Amino acid sequence: MSEVDTKAVEDKIIEIVANQRRVDASTLSLSDRLEDIEIESIDLVEIIFAIEDEFDVDVPQDRDAMKLDTLQDVVDGIKRLIAEKNAA
Amino acid sequence: MHRVAITGLGCISALGHDADSHWSAARDGVSGIDTITAIPPEKLKITIAAEIKGFDAEQHFDPTKLAVIDPYSQYALVAARQAVNDSGLNFENGIGDETAVIVGTGIGGAYTIDNDSRRIYGDGKTRTPPMNIPKLMPSAAASHVTMEYGLHGPAFGVTSACSSANHAIGEAFWMVRSGRARAAVTGGSEACLVYGSMLGWQALRVLSVDTCRPFCIDRKGMVLGEGAGILVLERLEDAKARGAKIYAEIAGMGLSSDAGSLTDPSSEGAARAISQAVGDAGLTAEEVDYVNAHGTGTGQNDVAETKALRLAFGNASDKLMISSTKSMHGHGLGAAGALEAVITARAIADQVAPPTANFTTPDPECDLDYIPNVARDTKIDAALSNSFAFGGLNAVLAFKRVT
Repeated sequence: MSEVDTKAVEDKIIEIVANQRRVDASTLSLSDRLEDIEIESIDLVEIIFAIEDEFDVDVPQDRDAMKLDTLQDVVDGIKRLIAEKNAA
Repeated sequence: MHRVAITGLGCISALGHDADSHWSAARDGVSGIDTITAIPPEKLKITIAAEIKGFDAEQHFDPTKLAVIDPYSQYALVAARQAVNDSGLNFENGIGDETAVIVGTGIGGAYTIDNDSRRIYGDGKTRTPPMNIPKLMPSAAASHVTMEYGLHGPAFGVTSACSSANHAIGEAFWMVRSGRARAAVTGGSEACLVYGSMLGWQALRVLSVDTCRPFCIDRKGMVLGEGAGILVLERLEDAKARGAKIYAEIAGMGLSSDAGSLTDPSSEGAARAISQAVGDAGLTAEEVDYVNAHGTGTGQNDVAETKALRLAFGNASDKLMISSTKSMHGHGLGAAGALEAVITARAIADQVAPPTANFTTPDPECDLDYIPNVARDTKIDAALSNSFAFGGLNAVLAFKRVT
């Protein structure tokens, strides 16, 4: 797998989520569960769109194909997709 | 107030090019879902749809006229011709002056919009074909049907996303019931399996990657469909007087709005429309035998609809027979209620409850009788057809057997 800049992915995802929720990025942490920070299904769809657009990756359409319980799950999933894209 | 008979059915869908084949496939649990052909699959993440197969527009229309008829109007016309022919109604003895035409659609001329966008933004063209506007308008299908038969009564398009056809049929039902119109040609039509639209649905993340399994634990979402369903409605006394074949009676409708969310359904809102339809038809909950569910196969709809049916039917919900025929003809969006009205009318006429196809294991939160995979020969004296749209717009039709 090619190197992925973990810090850059984490910061960008936190920024996207903060922007979607209209909260300060400093109030979010990677261990936050999406449901605990009141991300509903339609927010998640908007967040996925923003992430896909930012990193030019495709989050699988099959919702069982990627665990998305916490922000850390989102970061890990996106890092994997970026690595796969870079390796391709 | 008049009783309202369904005397003609017309349909084109992934299940067939006429109402009979659409019904037979739904009854037999045959799915029309397959790999999409209208768009190169390599451009899509979701590559399945319930497409109309083998449709040759030139077999149905004068090729010199086709350039001004969007596919969504073509489908409506094909279905309308069948329905009018099936009804045996002759519009030339004055009834045409009092016949309403109300056709629902979610989008209207999606092909025309998609092609136009490609020309302008993709190819850099600075002109559009001159008939684009009258071709893409969501009332074009209704206009074409009026012109086909010289129908001079009230006519318009109706749009409420996935409830469009039920709103249209319900409005036509009210016109005939109230005496505002003597007869009606009504239904819904949609043709939006185009690239821009597919990308939009993909982005919403409600489409299934495999197939449509409403109410099942392993359901992955909805599958887009297309097509048109058209019904001929007339006063029951008129239909009887001319000895017409009567499939069923439309006896009631229920309408409500969730006023909640653009995308999240409300069980309470849906239940209000269901209860209203039952009451408007003069039925009790115990008298309803079959429900053609909205049943999209999404995580949210199927649980919310199950709760809505429990709310509306109470103790009577456990003996209801429910199926989602979207498992076979896909989600026809603005045509959905019409594709399902054709099936519901035939279910009553034939006394057969069609199944939910592709059924595996029920979701524990979906704990009703969804007629898994195999149709049932059974008494159906009264039935409902549910449509619940994005934006919380609910429309439910109630049907009764005419004996």
